[in-house]
Amino acid sequence: MAAGSPECPAAVRAVGIFKTFAGVQALRGVDLELRSGEVHGLVGENGAGKSTLAKIISGAYNPDAGLLWINGRLLGGGHIRAHAEAGVAMVYQEPKLVAGLSAAENVFLGKTMRRGPFVARREARRRLRELADVVGIDIDPAAKAGDLTLAKQRMLDVARALDSGADILIMDEPSAALGPLERDSLYRTVERLRERQVTILYISHDLDEVFRLSNRISVMRDGTLVATRPAKEWTPRSLVEAMLGRDFVVPTRHKVGRTDTAAEILRVEGLTVPGALERVDLTLRRGEVLGIAGLVGSGRSTLLRALAGAEPKAAGRLVVEGRSVPWPHSVQRSRAYGIGFSPEDRRRYGLVLGLSSAVNVSLTNLGAVASGSFVRSHKLIRYATRLMTPLAFSPGRLRVEAGFLSGGNQQKLVVGRTLGGGPKILLLDEPTAGIDVGAKAEMFGIIDRLATEGMSVLFASSELEEVVEISDRILVLGRGRSIGVLDGEQCTVREILELLFGVERGEAA
Amino acid sequence: MSEQHVELSPERAGRPLAPTGARSRTLRAYGIEIVRTYGIVFAFAVLVAAVASQNSVFISHTNLLNISGQWAPAGVMAAGLTFVLIAGGIDLSIGANFNLCAVVAAAIGQHHDPGLAFLAAMALGTGIGIVNALIVTITGIDSFIATLGVSFALTSVSQILTGNQAYYVERNDFLSLGTGSWHTVPYTGMVMAGTFLLLGLVLARGVYGQKIYAVGGNREASRLAGLRVEALYGSTFVLTGFCCGLAGVLSASQLGSAQYNIDPGILFDVVTMVVLGGTSLLGGYGAMWRTVIGWAFIASIGNAFNILNVNSNYQNLVKGLVLIGALAIDVYVRRLARAGKV
Repeated sequence: MAAGSPECPAAVRAVGIFKTFAGVQALRGVDLELRSGEVHGLVGENGAGKSTLAKIISGAYNPDAGLLWINGRLLGGGHIRAHAEAGVAMVYQEPKLVAGLSAAENVFLGKTMRRGPFVARREARRRLRELADVVGIDIDPAAKAGDLTLAKQRMLDVARALDSGADILIMDEPSAALGPLERDSLYRTVERLRERQVTILYISHDLDEVFRLSNRISVMRDGTLVATRPAKEWTPRSLVEAMLGRDFVVPTRHKVGRTDTAAEILRVEGLTVPGALERVDLTLRRGEVLGIAGLVGSGRSTLLRALAGAEPKAAGRLVVEGRSVPWPHSVQRSRAYGIGFSPEDRRRYGLVLGLSSAVNVSLTNLGAVASGSFVRSHKLIRYATRLMTPLAFSPGRLRVEAGFLSGGNQQKLVVGRTLGGGPKILLLDEPTAGIDVGAKAEMFGIIDRLATEGMSVLFASSELEEVVEISDRILVLGRGRSIGVLDGEQCTVREILELLFGVERGEAA
Repeated sequence: MSEQHVELSPERAGRPLAPTGARSRTLRAYGIEIVRTYGIVFAFAVLVAAVASQNSVFISHTNLLNISGQWAPAGVMAAGLTFVLIAGGIDLSIGANFNLCAVVAAAIGQHHDPGLAFLAAMALGTGIGIVNALIVTITGIDSFIATLGVSFALTSVSQILTGNQAYYVERNDFLSLGTGSWHTVPYTGMVMAGTFLLLGLVLARGVYGQKIYAVGGNREASRLAGLRVEALYGSTFVLTGFCCGLAGVLSASQLGSAQYNIDPGILFDVVTMVVLGGTSLLGGYGAMWRTVIGWAFIASIGNAFNILNVNSNYQNLVKGLVLIGALAIDVYVRRLARAGKV
């Protein structure tokens, strides 16, 4: 056990940490102690200061004030290398890997094993297998890192950290964008690491997994650490209340069957996208929210992208409002059918981060904010305000560059823009990924209101609970095929998982 | 996690958000932002002051008008190239395109109406731009390589057409555009100023300009938002091709002649103008006023060498150092800005 010196038995002890960014107080006097060998859950709303604290412990940031001991060593902060030598490693959401190099080469990057002038490949692969065993994953050492799944890439990152002798791991949202199966393997890894006395700071928005994994849980709010308690002494409700600092009603399932008699607005038959989807059928009624559930790689996003005209090889029969139309192969064509698409990964596929929020909202419809060929500032702001006000987006932020907004507000921009096209059918891909509890509830409120007003929504998410919560019906996808449609009382996480695992077993046999 | 990006730093465009607390840090952030946005303007002011202190002719009315006329072709091309760079591409065929257009203008202008010669040259330049656009959008070849290839081909065509001889045009009506002036303001300078103004307005305020920023800033997001990304990207090459044709016309009319190697350095002068101004080679960021400053910078250096009577062999050395120095400062200041932000 590398528990450090006797006078400081904690793996990490932070006392009175302050940090300010350009005038904004991100941390105001945080005390945190990580006991050696524990999994310590850290939760809080976006902007509470979790990531800042993590980066101060990892040495990426220098605190303005405060003391930090790592394995008994007092560190000045701001030097990642010194912190790494003391035993800290951070696993990022986006694994820092070289896509073109093999798994083994990535793990031993910068400390390549040699035999004479050559790389000792066999030796490296043997070491990686050992590490993979510790982490509990099955990785072909020769596989290119870029070809691995996101989950495996993250594990590889963990393996690399362990290889450098780290015994304190900081995991920032390690389960984000992973499907249920991949999550399970992540949880197993965490358990195995705990058995090996690795100390883990586990930052997550997912309370279930925090309860499942953590020995103790700390809650942050507005740059302070509100409380640290053993996991047993928390309940989901007390945790959420501590995070929000106010009474919070856990949202219940939205009303079911509001659309039983409504007209069918969209019918898809035999949609095939080579390599991703095979003969998928679906129907959507007016004012209905149809959830799309499935593991990573099930074709959720591809299904929405195909409907949005962003999959050139998509083929199938499409009926919009009773009229059979050719499959759209351009976004413009799809929009002409009345389909609006809000893509996943808003920073990558949704927004032009360097342009103002107002321009981002108007991007599809710049003609509407122009006189002749020139954009008029007052029309731009008026148009954007009209779309964004119902989404509870403060108009004062419209002139701010999209890149500076929080995840929740960025998501609203993408949804607002999509609504600007006046769609009858709204495709939402992962609209709640990486946004905080409050923003998520707001987004659900928006979806619910739109549906009540007659909008038909396809909602895809990797969070099964969310799909269950918001959907009238649920289409379950497995490996590019439709494996079931759940309706009414069947819409439960359990039903979805049973469908999904049924397929997994069937395919394995 | 991205949450710490939230409203913590001044806006890129130099309109800082309201500061909250920690005054000294915020002042520093303002300082960084100002240097980043207007550093090139300061540098240009220093250059002008330095040269003018040595020889006040530099800032004389006549000399400034002289510069504007002489460097008009490069300025017109730089205005077009700004669009290509903001859209995320590069056009290395501009020098060869310009040259071929000048040759064609002169060849036709020898025996035909200058209006016909000018139109033909501009049509040719636009046509070459269309070819560039088709290559980069249809084949998907990177614009750096595609336009480099086109550049070689065009230079060769110029050589074949001219047989390594110059075309001389002695008709006064052909020369009037390049050599004439209105109240001592040369027509060529006016054409350039008009180009800067019109294209600057289109870029900053036009629907087209906003779309170009969007395509360069995030191509995939723009595509999914329903913009015709390929057409927009390609159109910047067509626009630049037209500018090359116009520049070729100005040059042929100024010189009264054209051969296959009018100004071999013009490609890099023009690229330097745009980049020196601060427009990003990665796309999505830049502005026409930046290109105007970059143009003034390069034109002034060239002019200063004449005025101060310095051996012109040093000219490219200075340009090279200025370019590297300016970009190094820009990178450094950006890093400071990032350090303050995240």
